[in-house]
Amino acid sequence: MSRQAWTLLAAPLLLVGVHGCHRSSEAPGAPDGSPPLSAPETVLSRPDAGPGEGLYLEKCAMCHGPGGMGSGLLARRNDQPLLTKRTDLTVDFVVQAARTGIGNMPAIPRGEVSDADMALIADYLVSAPGAAR
Amino acid sequence: MAISSDTHPSPAARRAFAAIVGDDNVFFDEQDRLAYQDKFAVDDALHHPAGAVAPATVEQVQAILQVAGERGIRLWPISRGKNLGYGGSAPVLAGSVILDLSRMKKIEYDPANGTVLLEPGVGFYDLYDFLKTKGMKHWLSVPGNSWGSVVGNALDRGVGYTPYGEHATKICGMEAVLADGSVVRTGMGALDGAPTWQLYRFGFGPGWDQMFVQSNFGVVTKMGLWLMPAPESLMGMDLEFDRPEDLGPLIDAIAPLRREGLLQQSPTIGNWLRAAAILTTRGEWTDQPGALADNVITAIRKKFHVGWWGVSLRLYGRETVNKAAYAILEQEMAKLKPMSLRPAIWKAGEALEATGWTGTPLTMPMQNANWHGGRGGHVGFSPILPQSGTAAMAQFQRTYARYKEYGMDYQASFAFGERHLINVNAVLLNKDDEAMMKRVDPFLRQLIIDARAQGYGEYRTHLDYMDHVADTYDFNGGVMARLNRKVKDALDPQGVIAPGKSGIWPSSMMEQAI
Repeated sequence: MSRQAWTLLAAPLLLVGVHGCHRSSEAPGAPDGSPPLSAPETVLSRPDAGPGEGLYLEKCAMCHGPGGMGSGLLARRNDQPLLTKRTDLTVDFVVQAARTGIGNMPAIPRGEVSDADMALIADYLVSAPGAAR
Repeated sequence: MAISSDTHPSPAARRAFAAIVGDDNVFFDEQDRLAYQDKFAVDDALHHPAGAVAPATVEQVQAILQVAGERGIRLWPISRGKNLGYGGSAPVLAGSVILDLSRMKKIEYDPANGTVLLEPGVGFYDLYDFLKTKGMKHWLSVPGNSWGSVVGNALDRGVGYTPYGEHATKICGMEAVLADGSVVRTGMGALDGAPTWQLYRFGFGPGWDQMFVQSNFGVVTKMGLWLMPAPESLMGMDLEFDRPEDLGPLIDAIAPLRREGLLQQSPTIGNWLRAAAILTTRGEWTDQPGALADNVITAIRKKFHVGWWGVSLRLYGRETVNKAAYAILEQEMAKLKPMSLRPAIWKAGEALEATGWTGTPLTMPMQNANWHGGRGGHVGFSPILPQSGTAAMAQFQRTYARYKEYGMDYQASFAFGERHLINVNAVLLNKDDEAMMKRVDPFLRQLIIDARAQGYGEYRTHLDYMDHVADTYDFNGGVMARLNRKVKDALDPQGVIAPGKSGIWPSSMMEQAI
């Protein structure tokens, strides 16, 4: 699928110390539209996560974590593409964006994320913006 | 089939669904209906569901089927609904109720034999995390969009990039609920208590696993899958080729290595736009409508150092074997004079690349939905070809000419199977461009016609084209369609389960259409 993109940006990591990095300015997992070079952020990444954080990791991080589609696209129009680092999010905005979809993001139906879980995710994203996670 | 369902669930039917799954798992608000529509639709007026119901158990699926059958309600099962480019979570038939199986997330793992038994709601990230907790003794095979369901992807014959990348061929045993509510298990699962359900595909007599793949003959509630043992070593190379005409020789060089088994993964040769559409947007390069001009293509390729075509080859397994095979690969590829050849070497214990070649789930390739900068998406066109450089070149030239004729940007790849190629085209949409969107449907229909004229048919298609593609499978007057209909009539005469999936309708609905 992403053959050349992986090739361009991922292969150098594999070859560090062997052939060098031909695009060494690309940090692993950089949320700037680059492909992910390190393992994705998942529930296992943060075993001590609280309920909202755990749900964010399970339901959202595949796209909104470093290297995800959402982070890559938000990097084109926002100085801070990672939702967990944003300081301008509100609960209403997070819920509305998720439920109706926004930009290239499809809507998230209630069958996939319940209203209760969506509220926990939104609270998490809004309550501790910019925290070192 | 120009029919739609007039069987939107009544309040009483909704209460019956709620009695089965609870009020919190029945979704019929306006926002719910919108949420299950196809985000990447060519025509936003089509395929609107009536709502959704989300069971958590097989027993609930049975009960929902009973209610639907009694009340003439059509159900559209989804695993996680992320079949983007093919319809997402939307049904063929407007007014269908989405049977959302995303709450069914059980995983059973047999580490000794390298198998899992999964429910439909298990996503690639879920399974990835699960296997990590078990020491990653087995690797996944993931598609370019790994947001979705492992079961759902295999059921739609999705592909990945490791030796286990042809997902439908790794299915071993299923559980499905038929329209009459009966639960069947295929293969050795038909023998109650058999410890070999996930070990031997066929059972005794006819093997029915594939009967439930890309079909509407039942609701799959469990699927056995084989997983690849974690390799000791990974070796290979990333290659770029400069000219469009390099495609044919490249295919003819890889194909015998794949058939021989020296190369066991399924390489995918992609064109320059497959990389560029992820990394940039069209508007950064041109404001001219219509297909991209050659000078623009050249500029984009230069910026990102990509060939007109590129491919990545990987070897998996024992290091000594990989080293021997690598030397052959390198020798064969060097004969083609690629514009670049970058080796890739990994051994257990070293940092692992987080890509599809290592079965690491990812969503980044979906960034191509933003190629046009605004509301976008993509629709697939994917005919099956023989593994022939001549045939692939002809298909490429014919298709590229159509892209230019219809003013579309050409994103394509040629994905190897063991004996075939899939020419995967992602037609990139700009939903903010009304003129373009009007061209998309006739363009896709033309591509299907062109492929059929060469004897080619698609392996998978969007909701809009299921009837059209089914019609191209026309041997003996379309006898396959008649066989499918007979099976549908026998198992689900009302068309409760996914009517129209893969062009399969029960006779009762064919008569309704007339």
